[in-house]
Amino acid sequence: LHTHKKSVVNKMQQKYWKTKQTLIKVTGKKEDEHVVASDADLDAKLELFHSIQRTCMELLKAIELYQKRICFLSQEENELGKFLRSQGSQDKTRAGKMMQATGKALCFSSQQRLALRTPLSRLYQEVETFRYRAISDTWLTVNRMEQYRTEYRGALLWMKDVSQELDPDLYKQMEKFRKVQAQVRHAKLNFDKLKTDVCQKVDLLGASRCNLLSHVLTTYQTTLLHFWEKTSHTMAAIHESFKGYQPYEFTMLKFHQVSKNNHSALCISLVMPAPAYEAVLLAAIRSSTGEWENSEKIS
Amino acid sequence: MYFSYLSVGKSCLLLQFTDKRFQPVHDLTIGVEFGARMITIDGKQIKLQIWDTAGQESFRSITRSYYRGAAGALLVYDITRRDTFNHLTTWLEDARQHSNSNMVIMLIGNKSDLESRREVKKEEGEAFAREHGLIFMETSAKTASNVEEAFINTAKEIYEKIQEGVFDINNEVTFSTLNTFCLLNQLGGVHGCRKSRFKLSGSK
Repeated sequence: LHTHKKSVVNKMQQKYWKTKQTLIKVTGKKEDEHVVASDADLDAKLELFHSIQRTCMELLKAIELYQKRICFLSQEENELGKFLRSQGSQDKTRAGKMMQATGKALCFSSQQRLALRTPLSRLYQEVETFRYRAISDTWLTVNRMEQYRTEYRGALLWMKDVSQELDPDLYKQMEKFRKVQAQVRHAKLNFDKLKTDVCQKVDLLGASRCNLLSHVLTTYQTTLLHFWEKTSHTMAAIHESFKGYQPYEFTMLKFHQVSKNNHSALCISLVMPAPAYEAVLLAAIRSSTGEWENSEKIS
Repeated sequence: MYFSYLSVGKSCLLLQFTDKRFQPVHDLTIGVEFGARMITIDGKQIKLQIWDTAGQESFRSITRSYYRGAAGALLVYDITRRDTFNHLTTWLEDARQHSNSNMVIMLIGNKSDLESRREVKKEEGEAFAREHGLIFMETSAKTASNVEEAFINTAKEIYEKIQEGVFDINNEVTFSTLNTFCLLNQLGGVHGCRKSRFKLSGSK
């Protein structure tokens, strides 16, 4: 009965110091600087873990947004292409031919652009799985480690308390000290084990994310290059076939009101090679004479 | 254990002095451990009570509370590890700040048996000791070289100070009817982590 009573008291005291440490942590009171410093390596790893957690989330959001934008862009590009073709068909001059050819190229490019969606949704899925499996698993270990850390730091507080008036010649004091020392040793053992676990897991997490990204992004990169190659090839062919045509140069464009198509014409033209650019502007001006002001054409 | 490689050998020195044996692998000291041995100075039997304090950084605030009332200290570094020598200043300041200003401090360069792996020259230890007014010795807890001398010389130094009346023993002694004084044994290590204190209790 006596030992049972003792162990109950011991447990109560243990809880008391653990609670005290929890309070210190929660209220943000300054902790023992040496104890904090001794966990510097662990805290650096946790920092890395949180960064992995945060950037994965950001990456997912970015992919989602990127996917949407690709769709919009493709739609606009397609509409622009269709618009150029219809305008071109009404224009019997060489400029009309130019517009039709460019329109075709744009429609082609808008279809090709959608190919980027496959590797991107693959990337999304992989990162999502990584988040659900690897990150949440590490997160569990981190939480367990934090519990042991609180226990260990609580035990250290307790030890500091009993160390104030320690006299190894007094049996009573020593008995108490030994009890606390055993508690600290036990808590330290648990904490150190989890500390190592966390450090290793976070390292592994970082490495496996790099691995994942380099794998999935390779497919994305190849698709992107492929897309660029195809479209630039088409654009180059148009450029080639229109060689010797009268060049247009626009020095200043100012508009008051922009219809949907004109707007996209301007946006898209910025990323297109010279002939397409000229064709687009030409079409825009022709289709909306009056909306443009002060547009100069210098041959 | 996780940090055992940090050890400069405080616990080994103590074991060699009290038990005359060497144990190459020690558990990490948790807080403090104690050792005691009877020695004779001036024909008087004196009981040395030695506090071997934990060197690991997380125990630093705890071990500071053991400095109080200590009459002497061994400040130990490992001659095969330059970093332990580089941290001596921090430890010395810490010890002086938290202890009796008359505390006798002996500087110990431990592991002198590992001559081939030496990183800190004996002269450097001597120079540091001279500069800070410490007594200096190189020891080996493994071969027992100078271990006895290190502890006993420190004890003698404290004994002389007591004879001179530098230590007010009655104030220092909080227990026992014997003259009691403390010896703080501090050891340098990585992050300045090694110290151990010991307490001397003497009888007339």
